Amino acid sequence: MKLSDLHSGQTAKITKIDLLHPSSFRVLEYGFTPGQEIKLINRSFFNDPLAVSLRGTLIAIRKNDAECIDVTL
Amino acid sequence: MSQTNLNLPLITLVGPPNSGKTTLFNYLSGKKYKTVNYPGSTIEYSITKFLDRFEIGGNLMDSPGIVSMVPNSPDEEVTISNLYDHPVYGKPAVLVVTVDVSQFSRHLLLVKQILECGFRVIVALTMNDILEGKKFTVKETELAKRLKCKVVKINPRTGYGIDKLIEYVKEETAISNLSTAVAKEFEDESIIKIYKEIEEIENNVIERNDQTNLEKANESLQIKGQTSALNKPDELTLKIDSLLLHKYWGLITFATVMGLLFASIFWIASPLMDLVDSLFQSLSSLVVSGHEHNWFTDLVSSGIIGGTGAVLVFLPQIIMLFFILGLLEDSGYLARGAMLIDKPLSKLGLNGRSFVPMLSGFACAIPAIMAARTITNKKERLLTIFIIPLMSCSARLPVYGLLLSFLLPGKFLLSGIILSLIYLFGILSSFVISVIINKYQKVFLKAEDNSSFIMELPVYRIPKLKNVLNNTYNNAIQYVKKAGPIILVFSILIWALTYFPNNNPVVPNEENLNTEQIQELIDSDRIANSYASEIGKFIEPVMKPIGLDWRVGVSLIATFAAREVFVSSLALMFKITGEGDNINESLVNAMREAKYGGTGRPLFTTATTIGLIVFFVFALQCISTIAITRKETGGWRIPILQIVFYSGIAYLFTFLTVNGLNLLGIS
Repeated sequence: MKLSDLHSGQTAKITKIDLLHPSSFRVLEYGFTPGQEIKLINRSFFNDPLAVSLRGTLIAIRKNDAECIDVTL
Repeated sequence: MSQTNLNLPLITLVGPPNSGKTTLFNYLSGKKYKTVNYPGSTIEYSITKFLDRFEIGGNLMDSPGIVSMVPNSPDEEVTISNLYDHPVYGKPAVLVVTVDVSQFSRHLLLVKQILECGFRVIVALTMNDILEGKKFTVKETELAKRLKCKVVKINPRTGYGIDKLIEYVKEETAISNLSTAVAKEFEDESIIKIYKEIEEIENNVIERNDQTNLEKANESLQIKGQTSALNKPDELTLKIDSLLLHKYWGLITFATVMGLLFASIFWIASPLMDLVDSLFQSLSSLVVSGHEHNWFTDLVSSGIIGGTGAVLVFLPQIIMLFFILGLLEDSGYLARGAMLIDKPLSKLGLNGRSFVPMLSGFACAIPAIMAARTITNKKERLLTIFIIPLMSCSARLPVYGLLLSFLLPGKFLLSGIILSLIYLFGILSSFVISVIINKYQKVFLKAEDNSSFIMELPVYRIPKLKNVLNNTYNNAIQYVKKAGPIILVFSILIWALTYFPNNNPVVPNEENLNTEQIQELIDSDRIANSYASEIGKFIEPVMKPIGLDWRVGVSLIATFAAREVFVSSLALMFKITGEGDNINESLVNAMREAKYGGTGRPLFTTATTIGLIVFFVFALQCISTIAITRKETGGWRIPILQIVFYSGIAYLFTFLTVNGLNLLGIS
């Protein structure tokens, strides 16, 4: 499943980053790497962007950028 | 900077945004640069020397925050290539890389990349107290061993660990004066590989500090448990965000915060503005009274004091705006604002990162346009720069203030509401224009890029009042220094244009006139035959369709120096001596008396005054804005487009407003 499919408060693990996605490099640099635990904290009013907790930091990420992040529960 | 000596070794501070880099820079140099809780607040290199007590013969440089050594925008490309070899200051001897230990793994990415490029590195660990709050601690020596570079824990707020850092800097610069680092490519796979190495390091150098040795031994067998506890974000921040980023409450709080921000600018600052105004007015009458009326007293009272007063009168408002923006920035809320507004802004072709530059635009377009550097996407950045002039900057306030007190004398509440509507009108226009420009971006902006929004949300903290006040003070001083001389020069120039060559007109000395009336005759005769009126004759045909005359036209031209010049220029054009009253009141009276070119028709009517307000909403009358846009966009194309576009809209809409209102029977 995609990161954006998570419900608020749900924790998952990153399985794969789609390296063909134009944002994949930036996503990796911010620390979204396979194996990392990730928690969806909140969604904005328009369901976008998402606020996630990763490596001890809160990060806001647009749904479009999060498309390249595959997760598993 | 004059104190720096190019022959001395260069020590460069590098680090991710918000890692305490600028705080360290300020501690080492004794300077007071802006440090705030918003990613990307350092946008330019600053260079200085160390404080004498550190006894280091070297230059210290602060660099803009970067997440990695791979540039993501043209500006980051410059930032990163300057790390290797700065065009002025050359190659660094050593890089001091700051690492916020509460974000250990993410910040270590940059350290690993910098080491791989071959720089000499000292790692400065910051925010150790936050990590200790989570009951963890970093083993410095173990980390140093694994990274093969010097590591030191510091607290740049208190000075803890700085002596050791200085000692390390001296040791490193003694070994070599110039780095031999070479640029290196990093691929997707290499980032994943570096993070794997970092995780390995993390498991070995971070330990819980509230456990017995037996527990530690047990834990080392199940490393996973430790990292998940370590990677919990700040509890309090999570609690606050459950409200401030809440789907509905988040939006309501956002609207309230923005509303309060603008309300306080209008209502809290206005009594202070009146105070400054009357102060300058009494100063001006003090000069005039008790002295002979000649060109010199006129220059001092109208040209110099009047001109300076026009600058300082809106200083309270600027201070207020910078102060509240500072509080919001320092608390960490602005990054949330950027997130909440990203979606609607992206529909307009902008980005959540456009939010802070746009907000700063309400203070002054110049820092706002510079702040647009934090927008990585080129198209979105150019579009943000394009619409920033529509954010009503503080220089327009005195103009609106004057025109509103003419339209609605004594009705302060209503004026306040109309003023908010003018602001809103500017914002809404910026949205419409943004959509239009975005639609034809290939023609106007010539940049297309992958749009993206990934932003760190910093930990909330109570704003440090001392910091915020300090930044506000610096901003205000900078503003006065920058705008002040221009306004003063133009004020004197316009004074001269209205005073000469007919500086001593002879008027028929009829017996039934008192001295005051004679003075008025002299003044009007002088200005009617002045250089300003010569210039005015050229503009007259342009001004006529919008119901205004050459005197307003000359004032509008003068506003290119700075918009607020309009007020002082009008005051000179309509010769306000203003005994007793404050500048605004007497100018309003003079505006009421002003007639259209010799006819009995009043010049300033409801229609023409509203027309002028509309003009000021759109017109790009600010040389500094044009200059900074040229610099930031790297060419004349965007600023020239802006001038043509905004002048056209301003004139067209003013024409439509004035004539539309006339048709409706409102003169």
